[in-house]
Amino acid sequence: MDFDFTEDQDSLRDAVRRWVDKGFSFERRHALAKAGGATRAVYGELAELGLSGLVVPEDQGGLGQGAIDAMVVCEELGRGLVNAPYAHAALMTPALLVGADNTLKAQWLPGIASGELLVVPALQERAARYRWQQVSTRANLKGATWQLTGTKCAVPAADEADAFLVPARVSGADADATGIALFLVLKTDARVQAYATQDGARAGDLMLAASPATLVSNDAFALIETAVDVGIAAHCAEAVGLMDRLVAITVEYMNTRKQFGTTLASFQALRHRIADVKMQLELGRSMSYFASLKLGEPAPQRRRAISQARVQLGQSMRFVGQQCIQLHGGIGCTDEYIASHCFKRLTMLEMTLGDTLHYLAEVSARMQDTAGVFA
Amino acid sequence: MDLNFTAEELAFRKHIRQWVAENLPADIAHKVRTALRLSRDDMQRWAKILGKQGWLGWGWPKQFGGPGWNGIQKHLFEEECALACAPRVIPFGPVMVAPVIMAFGNAEQHQRFLPGIASGEVWWSQGYSEPGAGSDLASLKCKAERVSTSSGDKYIVNGQKTWTTLGQYGEWIFCLVRTSNEGKPQTGISFLLIDMKSPGITVRPIILLDGEHEVNEVWFDNVEVPAENLIGEENKGWTYAKHLLAHERTNIADVNRAKRELERLKRIAKAEGVYDDPRFRDQIALLEVDIVALEMMVLRVLSAEKSGKQSLDVAGLLKIRGSEIQQRYTELMMLAAGPLARPYIFEAMEAGWQGDLAFPTTLLPLAGTYFNMRKTTIYGGSNEVQRNIVSQTVLGS
Repeated sequence: MDFDFTEDQDSLRDAVRRWVDKGFSFERRHALAKAGGATRAVYGELAELGLSGLVVPEDQGGLGQGAIDAMVVCEELGRGLVNAPYAHAALMTPALLVGADNTLKAQWLPGIASGELLVVPALQERAARYRWQQVSTRANLKGATWQLTGTKCAVPAADEADAFLVPARVSGADADATGIALFLVLKTDARVQAYATQDGARAGDLMLAASPATLVSNDAFALIETAVDVGIAAHCAEAVGLMDRLVAITVEYMNTRKQFGTTLASFQALRHRIADVKMQLELGRSMSYFASLKLGEPAPQRRRAISQARVQLGQSMRFVGQQCIQLHGGIGCTDEYIASHCFKRLTMLEMTLGDTLHYLAEVSARMQDTAGVFA
Repeated sequence: MDLNFTAEELAFRKHIRQWVAENLPADIAHKVRTALRLSRDDMQRWAKILGKQGWLGWGWPKQFGGPGWNGIQKHLFEEECALACAPRVIPFGPVMVAPVIMAFGNAEQHQRFLPGIASGEVWWSQGYSEPGAGSDLASLKCKAERVSTSSGDKYIVNGQKTWTTLGQYGEWIFCLVRTSNEGKPQTGISFLLIDMKSPGITVRPIILLDGEHEVNEVWFDNVEVPAENLIGEENKGWTYAKHLLAHERTNIADVNRAKRELERLKRIAKAEGVYDDPRFRDQIALLEVDIVALEMMVLRVLSAEKSGKQSLDVAGLLKIRGSEIQQRYTELMMLAAGPLARPYIFEAMEAGWQGDLAFPTTLLPLAGTYFNMRKTTIYGGSNEVQRNIVSQTVLGS
């Protein structure tokens, strides 16, 4: 049992942090968000650091790193409030492409690793919420070509992506876990209705009407669940970095802002609040580690652990976000101040790939007689 | 990062598990499993079994006859004892006073007191709180005056201690006493070991809200204590007591017991038909998440101690969270019993009680345990005091 980082992981963390310090100020984030949330350029800079290929196998042009390395990067991107579709494009997409044949891998993975190609999963359907087996998008074979018809919502970086990984149904009813295959669809073959997101990035709806598609993997539901879990672990880590930053900002504010002739930090009601915030932060950090450490386990244990982690992080994100705004007072509610940006990102993260109630139901359904880290 | 214990640690766990399975008396484990009343004899029987094995002082270094285990080994030992339903070791001797005697006592005191603690022969109590000194412990008033007599120096102790847990069984008591009123309140306190058979000591029961005699008032009326029972220097007792608090590490979270009690909660919820009620079941699921998160936090502390690479100052957080969780599982067990949590039958808390009831006797202790657990967020530095400490670390001011 060991929760220390390796020297390589420390260097990786430093590298991302240095880039944030130099290249991603709050002013830049603010300007990007105001201008509509385009982040392809930012993603390009992450690619220059090698981060787009972090978990892509070395023989496909990547760095072949693991879950804890990804966690380290995501913590730092969270701390830097970096708006880029990193978890989706750089972590979930390679996890989905594990199911592809070698030709398809050779065709796409090197470009994904270098950052030249931006490929994002398009999982969300209107009726599905967070039940990934709920797939209404249909795939039909026309001659030798697959054609997809259906709509995916709130796809990250939809108008900036080059291609999408799209689950579609080849057989069965809309809510069956079987009969779901995974396809690759070029952006040029789909209609995208894009918009900005609440947290300063971009997303969009993907409209497919007999759109040509390449089959990535048959019977892909297990693969999709694995990729979702990779995404959740990444988001947990991002949330930890973000909360770290927000708490640091709040502590600084409490030690400088004066009311009634003394600093906010001298009021016991507020001191107890920051102690509760610290509690949620540390519980969240503990469970973010747990999520990433459990990613390699067999599906039942992995899903159970990820659900437990996500419930903790959901509670932590909500509490830390809300209370740090409250501790700031009016300034916390302004657009020009960083705290509101942290809060909005935390809020949206809580609803990406699943929300707290959804995962509470998962934990509830998966409860065993015994519980604990090693159960 | 690696979540798994090493092969060595797993072998250690297996060894402990086997030993506990072979040595924990079944009647005692049964009482713990069903939350029945433990007698003095039950508690001391287990203490002596551990003592014989050299494990009652499981946190002790080798030089004082302990096993010299590291943090992870101690954690595994505690976990195996808890999961096997061993009774909680009464901490006052082996966990609380012994480390102070080791660190600040002289060689003669080591020889005089440590063997009786290690073997479980001598029952120790704690004399800290006073009616006027609860969370604000430094304001304590129980007075010890040093006098010279022909038979050597003595302290004359006058005053009152309270909340003395299981003090009705105590043979010795370690006390914080006021030896000076000069300077800050903290600077005039001394650490004194007192034989409870000394003339002038009166122990009176305080019955708690669950109807049980768990704590006591202890009165001191001109009690003579030989000066050689003073630990360390006069007026330095506060420093020694703080050392003791720093000594209590991850075990204050009590996460191992929480895991066991969560299993019990699920059994009760199933038997009472609420496990399949989503509203109730989700509450158990939330508690399960809380317990896993607490366990991860404990493991992080143990890992940090082992490697020495990071410092993790989260003792206050562990106390707050651990105590909240203790309260929560007892609350949910009581709620699971619902209407059948209401009967109060004092005798039913004894093992082997044969009552004629239309429902399982296992439901009878639940409300009482819930009432009793209100203490956990109050004792050991109330959770509000803990929040003050945590905020100091976070704010740096």
